Amino acid sequence: MDSDEEDFVYYGTPIVREEEMTSRKKKVVAESAGQMRSLPSWKQEVRDEEGRRRFHGAFSGGFSAGYYNTVGSKEGWTPQSFTSSRKSRAEVKEQSVFSFLDDDEKAELEGRSVGTSSTFDTFGFTATELSRKQAEKELHKRPSAIPGPVPDELITPAPNSIGVKLLLKMGWRHGHAIKDSQCNQLYDARREARKAFLAFSSEKAKPDDDVDAITSDYESTIEEFISDEKSFFSRSTPVFVLNPKQDLHGLGFDPFRHAPEFRERKRLRMSGAEGPGKGRAPSLGGKLFASNSGKIAPGFGIGALEELDVEDEDIYASGFEFEEVNVDEAEESQRISKDNRIQLSNKKHGSLSGFKVAEKSDYQLERFPPPDIPADFDPHHKFPAPLKTGIKLIESPPPEVPPPEDNNLRILIEGFASLVSRCGTLFEDLSKEKNKDNPLFAFLNGGNGYNYYVRKLWELQQKHSDRQKLPVDNVKSTGKMTAEDRGRILGEKPLERTMKDSGSSTSTDGVQLQFNLRDTFTKPSSLVDILEAAKPFKNDPAKQERFEQFLKDKYKGGLRSISSVGSSNMSEADRARERLDFEAAAEAIEKGESSKISKFSSDQLLFENQFTKGQFVSGGTEVYKPQKEKTEVEIKYPRREEYQWRPYPLLCKRFDIIDPFMGKPLPLARARSKMDSLIFTSDFVKSTKTEETPTINRENLPVSKPELPKTTEETPQPESESEANLNIERPVDLYKAIFSDDSDDEEDAAPVSNQMDDMENKTEVANTVLNRLIAGDFLESLGKELGLEVPPEPVYYSKENKSNLTSSRKEVLIAEDACTSPRNDLVGSINGASLGPLGDRDADMLKKELEAFGEMSLANQPSSEKTAQPKSEEMVDSKKRRSHRKKHRSRSTSSDSSYSTDDDYRHGSRLRSREDKKDTSKRKSRKHSKHHKRKSRGSSGKSHYCDSESDERDKRREKKKTRINRDEKDDREDRPEKRKSIDSSKSSSHSRRHY
Amino acid sequence: MSESQLPTKESNLLGGHEGAVLATRFNGDGNYCLSCGKDRTLRLWNPHRGIHIKTYKGHGREVRDVHVTQDNAKLSSCGGDRQVFYWDVSTGRVIRKFRGHDSEVNSVKFNEYGSVVVSAGYDRSVRAWDCRSHSTEPIQIINTFTDSVMSVCLTKTEIIAGGVDGSVRTFDIRIGRETVDDLGQAVNCISISNDGNCVLASCLDSSIRLIDRSTGELLQEYKGHTCKSFKMDCCLTNSDAHVTSGSEDGYIFFWDLVDASVVSRFQAHASVVTSPASLPR
Repeated sequence: MDSDEEDFVYYGTPIVREEEMTSRKKKVVAESAGQMRSLPSWKQEVRDEEGRRRFHGAFSGGFSAGYYNTVGSKEGWTPQSFTSSRKSRAEVKEQSVFSFLDDDEKAELEGRSVGTSSTFDTFGFTATELSRKQAEKELHKRPSAIPGPVPDELITPAPNSIGVKLLLKMGWRHGHAIKDSQCNQLYDARREARKAFLAFSSEKAKPDDDVDAITSDYESTIEEFISDEKSFFSRSTPVFVLNPKQDLHGLGFDPFRHAPEFRERKRLRMSGAEGPGKGRAPSLGGKLFASNSGKIAPGFGIGALEELDVEDEDIYASGFEFEEVNVDEAEESQRISKDNRIQLSNKKHGSLSGFKVAEKSDYQLERFPPPDIPADFDPHHKFPAPLKTGIKLIESPPPEVPPPEDNNLRILIEGFASLVSRCGTLFEDLSKEKNKDNPLFAFLNGGNGYNYYVRKLWELQQKHSDRQKLPVDNVKSTGKMTAEDRGRILGEKPLERTMKDSGSSTSTDGVQLQFNLRDTFTKPSSLVDILEAAKPFKNDPAKQERFEQFLKDKYKGGLRSISSVGSSNMSEADRARERLDFEAAAEAIEKGESSKISKFSSDQLLFENQFTKGQFVSGGTEVYKPQKEKTEVEIKYPRREEYQWRPYPLLCKRFDIIDPFMGKPLPLARARSKMDSLIFTSDFVKSTKTEETPTINRENLPVSKPELPKTTEETPQPESESEANLNIERPVDLYKAIFSDDSDDEEDAAPVSNQMDDMENKTEVANTVLNRLIAGDFLESLGKELGLEVPPEPVYYSKENKSNLTSSRKEVLIAEDACTSPRNDLVGSINGASLGPLGDRDADMLKKELEAFGEMSLANQPSSEKTAQPKSEEMVDSKKRRSHRKKHRSRSTSSDSSYSTDDDYRHGSRLRSREDKKDTSKRKSRKHSKHHKRKSRGSSGKSHYCDSESDERDKRREKKKTRINRDEKDDREDRPEKRKSIDSSKSSSHSRRHY
Repeated sequence: MSESQLPTKESNLLGGHEGAVLATRFNGDGNYCLSCGKDRTLRLWNPHRGIHIKTYKGHGREVRDVHVTQDNAKLSSCGGDRQVFYWDVSTGRVIRKFRGHDSEVNSVKFNEYGSVVVSAGYDRSVRAWDCRSHSTEPIQIINTFTDSVMSVCLTKTEIIAGGVDGSVRTFDIRIGRETVDDLGQAVNCISISNDGNCVLASCLDSSIRLIDRSTGELLQEYKGHTCKSFKMDCCLTNSDAHVTSGSEDGYIFFWDLVDASVVSRFQAHASVVTSPASLPR
C-alpha cells in the first residue's frame, strides 16, 4: 500500500477540510464573534488567528505593541530588495527615534528636546534664523523698500549690530561692561609697580629674603587690586530685560516676595496652561483615593473608568523632567530684583522695592465734614397719595358689565382705565375735576358707563399689578433672600421688629402693619376655621384633633415634628396610615376651597394679598399656601418607593429562603434539562404537557405581583390536604421536601434542575415518569415507586407538612455549618507551617491567636445539635472517623490538607469520579452531598474522604441509603424513637461501610 | 452602654498600615478586628491586647472594605482592583477572586451563613457571589442604582444598600421587593440597628439619618460632625443607645439615639476618621 501511494503524483495543495481545522481556531472564531461585541472596549484584546495573545515582552509593549499587535509595521514584512551599485548608491536610511514615534508622541517630545538658547548662540545661527523669519513676517505687512522681487537670501537682517559682533569676537559678553579703560589702568598700574620695583632693586642691593618679602608684598597688593577689579567687573551694568507686566498687581509689588515657592508653582501652572495637556494640575491634594504623583505612565493606557493610582505612575520616566520654559527672562528679572535689593538694602523698610519714600510731599489730603442732616429729616419718601393699586385690589371685584353700546365711549373708557391703572388713582381724581363738565367723561362721576369703567379699571389694575409684581417676585427669588423672605416662605411668624421693616418696605403705613400683624397671628387659626366647616373626622374627636394639628403643622410649613402627628401609643404602621388619611383629606379640602376661589380669580397669587384685609384675603392665602405646600412635598425626603424585584433562585437558596417567584418563568433563559421541565410541567397542570414548554404557570398565583408573599405563606397549606387527595394541585414545595430536602447544598445549579437528582437511576425514572404522566397521576405513581424501592420502611412523604419542611431546612443549615467545622482542627496543624514566614518571635502567640480566632467558629456553631442523637455512638463514630481520616491523609501525599473545605471536598469527589464513570456528574455531587450530610449529622463531620475500595459498595448501597435518610429526616420531628433506631442503624451501617 | 461607658481615650494603637486605613471591622464576637487600607493589605488584630496577628496580601490596589464570616473562617475583601477576594483566615490564602465589577468595589458583606458575598461597587451595581460553588460568576447583579453604591448591609432576608444617588434600597428576597428610600443626599455608609428596625445612613451633607425601615420615615438626624467628601462609616453602639461616627477633622462623635444630642466627642486622629466600629457584644 505504501509503495502504491508513493507512486501517486499530487498536484496543487490539498484542501483543508473544516474538520481538520484546529478546534482552537474554531473556538477563537466563535469567541471573537460572540464576545468581542459584548465586551467593553477596554476588555477586548487582540489575538492572532490561533487565539493567542502575543506578548512582546514586558519592556517592549507587553500585550499590545506594534501594528495591531503584530511586531510589524503598516508595510508589514514584505521583503525589500537591496541594490547598491557604484553609480547609484543605496541610500542609507538613518533611523532615529522620531521615525518610530507617532505624531502626538513627537509633539510631546518636542517640548523636551534641548536646544541652544540665544544666550549661548555664539555664532548666531539660531538668532539669524529667527530674525529672518521675523523680517519675513513683517514683509507681508509693509511694502518692501526695494520694488520688485528681492531674493530673501540676499538681504538677511542682522541679529546683532556689527559693533556688538565685534565686541563679542573680542571676548565681550552680554551683561559685562566694556572695561578698556580699566584694563589700561590695570596695565598701567602694573607697569608702574614693576618700574618702581626695578628701580628699588637696582638702587639698593638687598639680601634675597628681603627682596622676596617685598615681592610677595607687591604680589599681594596686585592681587588685591585685581580681585577688586573683578568684583567691579561682575557688578557692572546689569542687562535690563523688558519684563512685561501682565498681572494686576501694583507697580513693583511682588506677591511672592515672602513665599518664593509659590512663584515656581504659578509659573508651572502658567506653562501648563500654555502647553495643552502638559501634566496634571496637582489638585488632588486631599482626595482619599488619589494618586501620589502626577506622572502617568505612557503605553498601558488606563481606561476611562479607572482612576489613576500608584501603579499608573510612570516609573520609567526620567528622573528629571523639564518643560519648555523660557527661563532666561525670569532669571534676569530675579537678578535685577536682587540687584535692586542690594541697592535698597540700606533704605527704609516699608517702601516698595525700587521706590523711595519722599521726604516731603506737597500733596495734602483734604477732608470735608459730612453734610449736616436736619434733625427733622425723615429718610423715607412720602407719596402725596398712597398708591391705590393695592387698595383697589382689596375690594371685591365689581360685577361684570356689558360694554356700552357706543363704541367710542367704550374705547375711551378702556383707554382711560388703562391710563389710570398705570398712573394711579390720582390721575383719575385730577381728570375728574378737570372734565367735570365734559359729557364724554360722565362715566367718571357715575354717569353712563360708570360700571363698565369700574370693572375695566379693576381688571387692568390687576393685570398691571400682576405684571409689576411678577418681576419683583422673580428678583426676590433669584436675588439674595432676606431673612423675612425666607421666613415668609417657611411660614414663620415674623418678628415684630422685622415686620416694621417689611411694613415700610411695602410702602404702606401703620394701618397696614396692623393688618400684617393680625394676619400673621391669625392665619393658621382662620385657616382651621375655614376647614372646620368640613370636618372629615367628626365621629372621632381625638382623630379630628390630630388632624387639625396635622393641618396646622402642614400649613405652618417647615419640618414636621414626628411626635405631634400621632399619639404616642399608636403603632408605626397606624401612624403612617393615619397620615395618609390626613393627607388625602387635606387635599380634598384644598381642592374644594380652591375651586371656590377660582371663581374669584385664580391668578391672584401675590404676596401683597397676604397682607391685605377682607374676605378675599383668606381666599388668597388659601390658594397660595397649598401651592407652596406642594413644592414642599416634592422636596421632602426621605421618599419611599417600592418596586418588584426578583431574586434569583440561587440567591434564595443561599439565603435559605423560599423563592418568592418560584414557579414563575425565570427572567433569564436558563438551560434546563428536558427531564426537569418535563417533571415540573406535569405535576400541577396535571395534563400531558409537552416537554417543549419551558415556561410554566402552574402555580395558582395571581398575576398581580404584590400578593406574592401571601402565596408563599399559603403554599404549605395544600400540602396538608395532600394527605387525603393526591390529585389536588400541588405547589412545588412538596417536591422540594421529598426530593431535594437537602438541595441547599454545595452545587450551584438551579434548584429546579437539582430536584430530581437523587433519584436513583435517572433514565429509569424518566421512563417510569413518562409513563405515569400519560396516566396523569404522577404523585401516586411516585409513591408506588418509592414504596417499591424502599420495602422495609414505609413512606412518610404523605405526612409532610410545613413544620417538616422547615425542619429539613434546619438540618441543612446545621449540615452547612458543620461542613465548615472540619477545617478548624486543621488550623492547629497547619498554622505552624503557614505562619512560618510571618513571625519569628511572636509566632507562637500569633498562632494561638489565630487558632482562637478560628476556633471560635467551633464555638459559634449552633448548639442545636440534635439532642436526641445517641451520644455515645456519636462520639465513637467521630473518633473512628477521625482516625480514619488521619490514616487517609497520611496515605495521600498531597499537601492540600491546607486547603479549605471546598477544596477537600472537590478532592473527594474527584476521587470518586475516577471510580465510577457511569454516573453523571450531577448524581455524583448529589450522592456526595448525601454522604457528607450523614456525616455532619454525626456532628463530627470530619471525613470527606472515601476509601476508594468502599466506593463500589457505596454505590450499590446508595439506593437504599438515600431512601432511608430521606425518611429519617422527614420523620425526625414526629418520631424520635424511631429515628433513634434509624440513626443507630444508619451509623452502624455507616461505620461498616467505612471500615 | 451608658454615657459614662462611652470610650474617651485610646486603649490601643494598632500601628502597621502604611497609608490610610479605609475600614475597620470587628469580627462576630468583638474579640478581633480587621482593618484594610491603602497599602493593599488586610490586617487581623487583637485590639484588646494590641497585637497584630496576620497580614493578608494580595490586593492590587487599595482595600476598601472587609468582612468576616460568623464562624471566623473566611474573609472577604474588596477594593480598587475591581475584585472581591474570598480568603481563608487561617492560611491567608485567597480561595477565590470574584471578578466582574466594572469599577472599584466599595463595600462587601457576607450573608448569615457565609455562603454569599454581596458587594457594592462604583459601577452602580450590587453583586451577589457564591462562595459554595466554584463559579466565579455572580449569582445576581442588581443594577437599579443610578450612581456609585457605597455601602451594603445584609440581614437574614434582605440586602440593603446605599448609594451616592441618595437612595437606600432594600431588596427583600423573601417577598421579592425592592424598597427605595430616597434621602436626597448622597449616602456614604449605611448600617443597621441591632434590633434590625432602623437603618442609619451617613450622608454627605454632614448628617447622619436614622430611618425607620418599615415605614421609611426619617426618625432622626444627627449633625455636628463634618462629612463632605470622604467615605466615612457610621454605626450604632451595641446597645443601640448611641450613634457614632467619625469626622473629617479627626473627631469621633457620639450622639444620643433619641434626642440626637452630641453626647461625647473627642479628638481621636489627626486626620479623617474613616471607619469607627463598635463592639458587637
